[in-house]
Amino acid sequence: MSIIEVKNLTKTYHDTEIPVHAVNGIDLSFEQGEFTAIVGPSGCGKTTLMNMIGGLEKPTSGEVRVDGSVMSELSSHDLIDFRLRNIGFVFQAYNLIPVLTAKENVEFIMQLQNWDKKKMDERTVSLLKSVGLEDKIHNKPNQLSGGQQQRVAVARALASKPKFVLADEPTANLDSSATNQLLDIMERLNQEEKITFIFATHDQRVMDKARRVITLDDGKVISDTKQI
Amino acid sequence: MVLIKIAWRSIWRSKVRSSVVILAIAFGLLGGLFSSAWMNGMADPRVQDTFDLETGHIQIHHPDFPENEDVKYTISGIEGKLAQLRANAQVKSVTKRIRVVGMAATANKNMGVSITGIDPETEKSVFALYKKVDTLTGTFFAGDKRNQIVISKALADELKARVKSKIVLTFQDYNGEITGAAFKVVGIYKTDNTPWDKLHVFVRNRDLGRVLEIPADEAHEIVVRIENFEEASMIRQELANVFPELLVEDWAELSPYVRLMSGYMDTMMALFMVIILGALGFGIVNTMLMVVLERTKELGMLMAIGMTRRRIFLMILFETVFLALVGAIVGEILSVLVIHYFGQTGIDLSNYAEGMESVGYSAMTYPMLEPYRYIQITILVVITSIIASIYPALKALKLEPAEAIRTL
Repeated sequence: MSIIEVKNLTKTYHDTEIPVHAVNGIDLSFEQGEFTAIVGPSGCGKTTLMNMIGGLEKPTSGEVRVDGSVMSELSSHDLIDFRLRNIGFVFQAYNLIPVLTAKENVEFIMQLQNWDKKKMDERTVSLLKSVGLEDKIHNKPNQLSGGQQQRVAVARALASKPKFVLADEPTANLDSSATNQLLDIMERLNQEEKITFIFATHDQRVMDKARRVITLDDGKVISDTKQI
Repeated sequence: MVLIKIAWRSIWRSKVRSSVVILAIAFGLLGGLFSSAWMNGMADPRVQDTFDLETGHIQIHHPDFPENEDVKYTISGIEGKLAQLRANAQVKSVTKRIRVVGMAATANKNMGVSITGIDPETEKSVFALYKKVDTLTGTFFAGDKRNQIVISKALADELKARVKSKIVLTFQDYNGEITGAAFKVVGIYKTDNTPWDKLHVFVRNRDLGRVLEIPADEAHEIVVRIENFEEASMIRQELANVFPELLVEDWAELSPYVRLMSGYMDTMMALFMVIILGALGFGIVNTMLMVVLERTKELGMLMAIGMTRRRIFLMILFETVFLALVGAIVGEILSVLVIHYFGQTGIDLSNYAEGMESVGYSAMTYPMLEPYRYIQITILVVITSIIASIYPALKALKLEPAEAIRTL
């Protein structure tokens, strides 16, 4: 069953004299538990598509439906709440809260949802263990390497048991070893927790791990292949 | 709770910038509070001296006496009225006085003076002039010898008189006849108000009453001391009801200058604080705008992962209030220390003593500030910082998460 349905989605920017069609009539659907990479050259519309799926940008036309809810029809407040409860985000630049420790960064999402402290502690420790950072829980982001920060970001994205995780270029700033480690962790979590992962990436190593690869060019899907 | 944690820790991200803001707030407050304390230190003794030397808290006269201080406008049945006042629980102490305007003369010079007849013992319970008498050379009346007089040092210098000098007082008596008597100086006082000193001499009631030929149970003035001078107006009203035939006035009516000065000091303090808090507010707005600008990407990320705009607003508000509060606390600690230090040692303006004393101020000033002023200023700093946080917070709320995250 599809958890995300993208129907005839377009996004046109009018910031310049000539309108830019960043996403140009895309139809896609994503099933529960997918591990999917959206790939394509720079400027092909990957990030814009991810932003619209995540409710960070409104489409010019078309719709994104998550679990039956049309994202563009939600009010600004409801959209924020929807993202909080249903979507995990992993960003290229990690984007952890610099003044919080690894543990506090992971707890942050659960605190926004008023989780019980005991449950929150258990989940945080378990997630940080699963990303291999049980010995770094009290370190602040500036005391962690790039790869470690991104693993904390993955733990944070999974904290509130979202329906899917959107990861925009998560490995772009990582070296080869950190990338492999991160991808292994995400693949394992995908299989263990059945959480859908959608990556926007140019990274061949991500494409190699993905079980489905969607290729975009000029805002359109030019291929959509499932790998065994 | 997590918002408070983030806000508090965020203050210390840019330690140099936050320290500059905190020190600016702290020194601004120190300047404001110390100036206020200094003004208080100048004004309060002046106000207190007015109560202790000039007016007491409440005075009662014949209704026509204040207009030209004619000797014949006395209060009759004075002892009964004093007893009635002493029985009043709100009255701390009372004394009666006879007053007349006359001339004081020595072999060297004549001076116009205000002569006050007093009962030294009850006078001490209402006024503090006796503390101003130089006890090394004289006393504030002693023994039963008749015609003793206490004059000020300023007048003594003018008349070239000293303790044991003879001074002749002349004035109009109760029957309108010019009369006079010789008095011997037994004490010399000095207050911080030279013009007042030059004008006032003190003799015993019984000596002045006899020369003036005032009937035994009469006097010109009853002076009342109460526990709290701020209740003077209320108690004056009550006493006016008790003695409807007499004129009852409180210190504010008797000394409009002191009332004006008291209000003026409050206005000046308020003005100082408005200027300082205004500057503080603009400083905070500037700092927090920089904070929002610097953290655009982070704020965008927080919105993206599910932090509502209300929470973003609160987070910026908390951070602003914490920053201002730390500055306020540092400023208040510095102020307490500095004000306490100078409150003990005093600020010596003796280079300007003549000028100060000619307008009734002491050359030594002891800065002081009531504790409630510190609480008041803390509340004002919090309110200012809340107001100052609104504009930067609104700027933050206008951010769009997707655009903000793309910011470099």
